Amino acid sequence: MIHEFIASWALFYTTYIVGWLISLLLALVGVLVVARDQIFLGAAMSQASTLGIALALSLGSWTAISAWGWVHTDAFLSVMAVVFSVLAALLTARVGAGKESHEAVTGWVFLVSASGSILIVSHSPHGLDEIHRLLLSSIIGATSVDMWTFGALAGVTALMLAATYRRVLLFALDPAMAAAVGMRITPWAAITSAWLGLAVGLSIRSAGMLYTFGCLVLPALIAKNICREVRPMFYVTPMVAIGTATVGFVLADHYDDPPAQMTVALLCLLLMAAWLFRRLRHGGAT
Amino acid sequence: MDRHEAIFRAVRLSLGYGRRTLFEDVNLEVDPGEFWFFLGPNGEGKTTLVRAMLGMVRPRVGQLWVHPELGQRQHVGFVPQRCDINPTLPTTVREFILLGLVGIQAPSAARAQRLAWALTKAGLADLEERDYWSLSGGQRQRALVARALVRRPSILMLDEPTNGLDLLAEDAARRFLAELHRAEQQTLLFVTHDLAIAARYATHIALFHGGGVVSSPRDVVLNRHTLKRIYDTAVDISYDLSGVPTVSVGLPERPP
Repeated sequence: MIHEFIASWALFYTTYIVGWLISLLLALVGVLVVARDQIFLGAAMSQASTLGIALALSLGSWTAISAWGWVHTDAFLSVMAVVFSVLAALLTARVGAGKESHEAVTGWVFLVSASGSILIVSHSPHGLDEIHRLLLSSIIGATSVDMWTFGALAGVTALMLAATYRRVLLFALDPAMAAAVGMRITPWAAITSAWLGLAVGLSIRSAGMLYTFGCLVLPALIAKNICREVRPMFYVTPMVAIGTATVGFVLADHYDDPPAQMTVALLCLLLMAAWLFRRLRHGGAT
Repeated sequence: MDRHEAIFRAVRLSLGYGRRTLFEDVNLEVDPGEFWFFLGPNGEGKTTLVRAMLGMVRPRVGQLWVHPELGQRQHVGFVPQRCDINPTLPTTVREFILLGLVGIQAPSAARAQRLAWALTKAGLADLEERDYWSLSGGQRQRALVARALVRRPSILMLDEPTNGLDLLAEDAARRFLAELHRAEQQTLLFVTHDLAIAARYATHIALFHGGGVVSSPRDVVLNRHTLKRIYDTAVDISYDLSGVPTVSVGLPERPP
């Protein structure tokens, strides 16, 4: 099995490396999503990215290639995915006293994006295929540009978290206390939302919704159940994500299955094991 | 620490949100070693004044002077009304308390010393490695205070810290704070509705009512005339043998 994987390296190494880097990036930002108990936000942002891509595809089909050539580029699709993901994150972050609940706004973003992304491209066979591909998820076909992009993003994210670990933690866990010790909560919320939107938006374009949402929340949920503190979650989560992705890629290669689905299925199994582990550790009390 | 140098001084201070003014023309001075109680009904601006002292609300009119060293954020400990931490997250008492060090530059040895001191002061020394969520309500409240104490604050501000505790835990928390004030000369600022607690422990009281604040040493504020004007009902004050006043609101007035 391992030999087959190594043999496939020359053909698929870009796919594997991009898959690892995406899982690393999303695992790091996913700790914040899980710490703030905003799991559904990941799904809503992923779906909002899909709406952005659907709009970009639709715009492309309405315009003449010669006049608006940039509308037909991959870069434009990626920008639209990121813009809509960031908008979704910022919209859901603007929840407070006297406003609608976070869950309600997140649910609205998810539903309007899910219905809108299909309706916009429903009369365009190419567009509909693309949206279905994104919803199904595939990391096969990743490019070297993706490799450098996600490598840089994951590196910057890790460095930022290492430099601001305690502030990020306090902001995620207890914003009221964070404000009391002098942290400026509004810029912090805007920056973390924008960064989350950037990570999710770019990942959607390269890996699709299932892999993005799965790597965003599942590794952090697994770490949450096996760690005794939040701090180790910041390094256990990426280890879980990369380790599971590696096993998933090897198994997918051996059984000729799609690697994204295999990785997410394995993460789901691991989460069940983590729940059991936590239950046993607490002597069945929780 | 110069005991005559105020940590906070409000001069003709007015605070509010949007179009609503909560109070106006307030003068108040918090000096080191004092135990202040902010008293009054909901919505009168007690918490808002604390937030202003923390730099989270700007004065509308007047001044809120903050001591350039003692009143700065790194020297202020704050215990919020409630803690909104996600209860499914794993965290130990140690990790929870160390969160209080955000914004303070300290090497790891100094952090460990501060942690040990705060744990001891809060009576949690044996619970450092315990899961925060396995603590009782009273112990969690102590952990919240320890998270503020780990900053070695010149002033500790507590916003209704005994809300939601049972009677025993509430009494224990009050005694713990009183002991902290007595033994460490810790300056404390306690927001509450409970006049009886303030009467027992305060050195100074600020009574918030009807857009104004009456603030003075305890024995100046705690007189029948002031309390009746503010609470609009009969108030009885009696003193035990050690001179600690007990206040009863709503009882028939004593004959003159």
